Amino acid sequence: MIDLLASLGNWNWLILGLVLVGLELLTPGVFLFWLGLAAFLVGALSFVVDPTWQTQLLMFAVFAAAAVPLWRRMARRESSGAASPFLNRRAEALVGRVFTLERPIVDGTGTVRIDDTIWRVAGPDAPAGSRVKVVKADGASLTVATEP
Amino acid sequence: MTGFDIFAIAVVGLVILTLLAGVKTVPQGHDWTIERFGKYTRTLGPGLNLIIPYIDRVGRKMNMMEQVIEIPQQEVITKDNATVTVDGVAFYQVFDAAKASYEVANLTQSIVTLTMTNIRSVMGSMDLDQVLSHRDEINERLLRVVDAAVTPWGLKVNRIEIKDIVPPADLVQAMGRQMKAEREKRADILQAEGQRQSAILKAEGQKQSQILEAEGRKEAAFRDAEARERSAEAEAEATRMVSEAIAKGDVASLNYFIADKYIKAFGQLANSPNQKVVMLPMEATSMLASLAGIGEIAKATFGDSTAPASAARRGAVPNAGSKVPPPVPPQG
Repeated sequence: MIDLLASLGNWNWLILGLVLVGLELLTPGVFLFWLGLAAFLVGALSFVVDPTWQTQLLMFAVFAAAAVPLWRRMARRESSGAASPFLNRRAEALVGRVFTLERPIVDGTGTVRIDDTIWRVAGPDAPAGSRVKVVKADGASLTVATEP
Repeated sequence: MTGFDIFAIAVVGLVILTLLAGVKTVPQGHDWTIERFGKYTRTLGPGLNLIIPYIDRVGRKMNMMEQVIEIPQQEVITKDNATVTVDGVAFYQVFDAAKASYEVANLTQSIVTLTMTNIRSVMGSMDLDQVLSHRDEINERLLRVVDAAVTPWGLKVNRIEIKDIVPPADLVQAMGRQMKAEREKRADILQAEGQRQSAILKAEGQKQSQILEAEGRKEAAFRDAEARERSAEAEAEATRMVSEAIAKGDVASLNYFIADKYIKAFGQLANSPNQKVVMLPMEATSMLASLAGIGEIAKATFGDSTAPASAARRGAVPNAGSKVPPPVPPQG
């Protein structure tokens, strides 16, 4: 076992990197890609300097940990440009739209009919039939303001 | 193998394990809750997420897509004590993963139970006929009640549909019979109405025709009466003129008229093609006898030759009696 680890050369690190990146394709989302990148880096550095196998292992650990902030930045940039930001966020998609009150808002709650279902809304008291605009969505509850 | 060797291997193993534990990729359509020392702290949205291993732990993996659950069959007693079997479906969506995870245990079973009890209370307050014909109303009432009830659980029930309402078999049979009877009743009524209408129309026609006929008769009678009146008037006028003439002239001239008419009448009798026997009242014969010469004329008429008749007539007239006036020469 130790012999196997001790025999880890620069080529073996590169092979390990390829295998890890390949495994990432088969089981996506398991962070193997970054481990693969770290293995590649270790292999590349081993060509330049010739560290001991223990140092190589520690280098691999450091690179793998260092991949986290790099990946975080990428993930943040990706999520800001999502193709459909309201996917599975149905209530948020209603913000800004104007509806007609189906039942009056009494003591702060009333109902509107949206997409053939009934939504309970919160807002200032208003009679049935008045127009309201959705200003905020929190979970399944909508906050509305009366629209002139 | 030195301690440093083992340390290096352990560090690499730990780093890999830590990375695997700290990096969470949440698939679209799901939200994961994060518990720090067992207490909910935040919710992970879809995409790559990072948690702090050792102190954070993924709690519940909540499906944020709209989901459908079957409401199992149950027996419901309606207001008028009919037992119907009802089942349905409910569509709901989780809007708040944290509430749906921790506010309620066994989410779907709670929704099913809530819906089932509300089906019983909504349908139990309706008659069987209403239950069968007001499905939309039932759905909406259920939706309002159940949606309000699940709000604390961070859900929204979008739709509840009653799928099947099955009344017991004997009731279905009775309903079929009722429908048939109702249709038959309508048919019978329609038929009777048609017959009535036709009878009325017929009677009216008859009445109209009778009225018209009676009116015709009345008109005819009026006209007949008028004609009789007119003829009576004419007769009276004629009589008056004759009597005037008689008053002015000789009374014996009257006899001439009588004889003339008598002879004309006989002439008509004689001319009728089949009549060869003429019955004469006794009085008439005696009158004939009294009117001497008329017998001769009659003989001439009933006889065959015309020449002797005219001769006889010419000769007879002067012998006819003192009362007969001398013949008036025909004029024109």
